[in-house]
Amino acid sequence: MSVLDIAKGMGVTLGHLFKKPVTVLYPEEKVDIKPRFRGRHHLLKHPDSDLEKCIGCSLCAAACPAYAIYVEAEENDPNDPTSAGERYAKIYEINMLRCIFCGLCEEACPTGAIVLGHEFELADFRYQDFIYGKDELMVGVKGSKWQRREAAKKNKEVNIGVKSVPRKELEGVNYD
Amino acid sequence: MKVKVNGIELELAPGTSAIDAVFAAGSDVPYFCSHEYMSPVGSCRMCLAKIGAPRKDRATGNWVLDEETGEPQIFWFPNPMATCTTAIMEGMVIETEAEEAVKAQRGMVEMTLINHPLDCPICDKGGACELQDRAYEYGEGISRFEFDKRHQEKHHQLSELITLDRERCIHCKRCIRFFEEVPGDEVLDFIERGGHTYIATVEEGLESNFTGNITDLCPVGALLDRTSRFKGRNWEYEHTITSSLDDASGSAIVLDSRTGRLERIKAELNTQVNKLWIDDSTRFGYEYVNSSERIKTPLIRKGDNLEAASWQEVSEFIADKLAKLAQKEAAIVLRADSTLEEGYAAKNLAKILETGQIDHYPRQLASVIPNNSASLNDLASSDAIFVIGDVSQNVPIVDLRIKDALKGVAPPEMFEHGVPIADLRLKERMIRKKEILTVAAPYNVDLMRHAGQAHIYEANSEEAIFKALTKIANGEDSSVAAMSNEQAEALVKRLNEANNAIIIYDGFSLASPAAAIAARNFANAVGAKEIILGQMANSYGLEAIQVLPSHERYGYAEIMQGSAKALIISELNPANNSQYAQNLKELELLVVHSIFENETTALADVVLPAKSGYEKQGTIVNLEGRLLEVNAAPIDAGQAQDFEFLAASIIAALGKEGKEDLASLAHKAIRKQFGVDSKKLDPEGDLKPLKPRANNKAKLHIQSTNIGNALIVPTMLRLEYIDKNPHLLAERGAAKLTMNSIDADANGLKNAEIVSLDVAGIKRSFSVQIKDSVPAGLWLIPALPEQAIGLLELDRASLKKELEPA
Ligand code: SF4
Ligand code: SF4
Ligand code: SF4
Ligand code: FES
Repeated sequence: MSVLDIAKGMGVTLGHLFKKPVTVLYPEEKVDIKPRFRGRHHLLKHPDSDLEKCIGCSLCAAACPAYAIYVEAEENDPNDPTSAGERYAKIYEINMLRCIFCGLCEEACPTGAIVLGHEFELADFRYQDFIYGKDELMVGVKGSKWQRREAAKKNKEVNIGVKSVPRKELEGVNYD
Repeated sequence: MKVKVNGIELELAPGTSAIDAVFAAGSDVPYFCSHEYMSPVGSCRMCLAKIGAPRKDRATGNWVLDEETGEPQIFWFPNPMATCTTAIMEGMVIETEAEEAVKAQRGMVEMTLINHPLDCPICDKGGACELQDRAYEYGEGISRFEFDKRHQEKHHQLSELITLDRERCIHCKRCIRFFEEVPGDEVLDFIERGGHTYIATVEEGLESNFTGNITDLCPVGALLDRTSRFKGRNWEYEHTITSSLDDASGSAIVLDSRTGRLERIKAELNTQVNKLWIDDSTRFGYEYVNSSERIKTPLIRKGDNLEAASWQEVSEFIADKLAKLAQKEAAIVLRADSTLEEGYAAKNLAKILETGQIDHYPRQLASVIPNNSASLNDLASSDAIFVIGDVSQNVPIVDLRIKDALKGVAPPEMFEHGVPIADLRLKERMIRKKEILTVAAPYNVDLMRHAGQAHIYEANSEEAIFKALTKIANGEDSSVAAMSNEQAEALVKRLNEANNAIIIYDGFSLASPAAAIAARNFANAVGAKEIILGQMANSYGLEAIQVLPSHERYGYAEIMQGSAKALIISELNPANNSQYAQNLKELELLVVHSIFENETTALADVVLPAKSGYEKQGTIVNLEGRLLEVNAAPIDAGQAQDFEFLAASIIAALGKEGKEDLASLAHKAIRKQFGVDSKKLDPEGDLKPLKPRANNKAKLHIQSTNIGNALIVPTMLRLEYIDKNPHLLAERGAAKLTMNSIDADANGLKNAEIVSLDVAGIKRSFSVQIKDSVPAGLWLIPALPEQAIGLLELDRASLKKELEPA
């Protein structure tokens, strides 16, 4: 190895010293995520009618390779429907510890109800806190269970480390 | 007959349908309207194939030969043919894979899908749907239909139990044909024509005991079971094939369960027993097992309260008490739908406790094991049937098999692919040979509609009738109640001359041993086989293995009247009888094995959680003497256990365990008694009818009353659970007290009025049903497990009106 080679290497290093860094000061700064990133799921609603898109068909659970989803359906009350179909999901649960974020559930869903979003900060303390039910997954709920617990404790807004990047499947989801 | 299917040569019996030839050759053809046990009608046009046959020259009678090959020339039908309605001919050639056949099949799928909605994700049939499967296998995958689909009513509630989605119907006509051909209750039909056709009832509701079967046979999701609506998808259910403990037929059923709950029951094929049909009580009467009121842990009495305890704790408590008793002081009673294994366990426990006070109930005075027993398939091919009693309520499947016999079509020969898909002997609206069926009963029973002769006799005259008929059979003069002499003679003649005569009788005759003996003698005199309808699923089996008292002092009624100091009772509620309740209070130890809390558990020292018939593993013997497997579905029943476990834990706590456990003792005993391995039973059961004991030594000392103003009648419904079966209750209503309008007027009663009544010590509530076909003066009361069928004297003054009808 010649001195010249060493100088060349140092040159590369020096060059980078003056470039704009790619690292983000996470968690102080929010991360810039690509639109097709697959983070935790959202259950969506029809924006105009506020009815749930999910019809409790269990196809997502059937498609899931990790057996992470559990659905129990119920018949809609025609006078006060929950979803736009005949049936809705009375129980909808995803076990985030089992989930491998493959997106097959989103692929299988006939109504576009379950969509993988951009949130990824799911760390928590107890196993049971990784089971996300309808309350946690429903569009409009921001943050992981832990983030929301913390925010409630400190009486602050939930602050997640993701910037909003538009993706048309994430109808109604807002990370700001 | 030689046929050639897709190049494969076959030798088949004449009369075989082309569709069965196709399946026999191992090929496949799609079909919607054909059904194993119904007439082929060719309404769906799905089973199309290219069919041709050689032709004989009219003049010479020789085959017309192909000039080039010298072989018989095949003349093709000008269009693809429906294979289900085509009978095979000598030399027929069937091609399901020919280009025009494939094109026609594809076209039919596309046509069928034109008006079928695409709501598979919310349809309960999805995943088990014949249309989905066929569209996938034979369809194009695309539709050229650009217009709006037909829109019709999507939630038409045919009954509390069945919902109809008219958009999904593909007009295969299976449901309509079912009602006409199988139970003979014509309640459904097509209305309108063409694309506007829809299914409807004449009046509201489905008047039949077998309505649920249309949800099984509908090839799409048009007809669905309301009890399981949206409870799970077909691939999510655990399917457990078992035998039903609902009645003495032991019908094959599938239990669909999910996350510890039983969500649906469907019929399963047993070609020997129920074919593909089950009655509504068997299908819809399961919801109670999911009830939150179930007892889930053992309970032990602490003062006035029952407190939760462990099995170990309570077994030790029971053993302590039992150890202090002398011989013959303990008693054990099982319900008559307990398994053979439970029966043997009870017998072993009784042996250890040195007591002969052991019985099963409901049980009648006479034996339910026939002398010369007929199988249900014998019944279906019988040419003379005499029924005395109410078959349709007792064991509804026997009612259906009788109706098979009326069609005069014997059970079909099996193919390697199973039951023939299209049995060309079956037709729509067949002429029924009513004349072969004679029905007699103390009141108007459902089967009388289908009988050539129907006779209503005075209750409790079974003995006299059988004796008089026997006399006639022996050539003596006699007159039979409710029949004219000609009718009686014609009946005896028909039974005598038939090749396969069968006499069916039930609890009305069994209530008196003399009547049962008379029935047996009559069957002997005319050379008829017998079918005896026991009141519960294993009445036959428990009698066969002698879960019976050692002495007539020790029967159920005597035990309840204080013959024992300690009682272990499974699944019965004797304390609903106020007089028995008094006696039960005196006991030193009362152990109640039960699913729900009731009057008897309220008196118990120990309550043990019981398994329902869907959670047990074991063996039963149905009314033919067929050993059938009972399998357990994964249902969450807490610490519930069967009687075998209960007996084993008491025996263990007593320190009296033998070398072998109860399960292997039962296994051996079954092999010895019936000559079969209970772990390797045939899926359709092993028919091992026993010879009856010459004499039923265990007679109850209470003789049946010869007079009475009320009759306990069999009921298809399990009334002990009906409150916890909400859908069935909504459809069928509460227990009915049926009487003539003369009696109703005399007591100022109106239809549907709710009344309470003291029925031989048991306070029960009923809704009044006025039927003028019931003889005046006789009130009909549906049986409870604690009340065996038969006549009784009712204190009519105890009648109270509870509520005015709404
Ligand atoms: S992303 Fe994949 S693993 Fe996760 S729930 Fe959906 S299908 Fe299952
Ligand atoms: S999320 Fe979609 S696939 Fe899953 S149950 Fe709901 S509608 Fe069906
Ligand atoms: S309702 Fe079902 S069984 Fe009846 S005709 Fe329609 S598709 Fe056939
Ligand atoms: S026409 Fe329907 S099966 Fe043949």
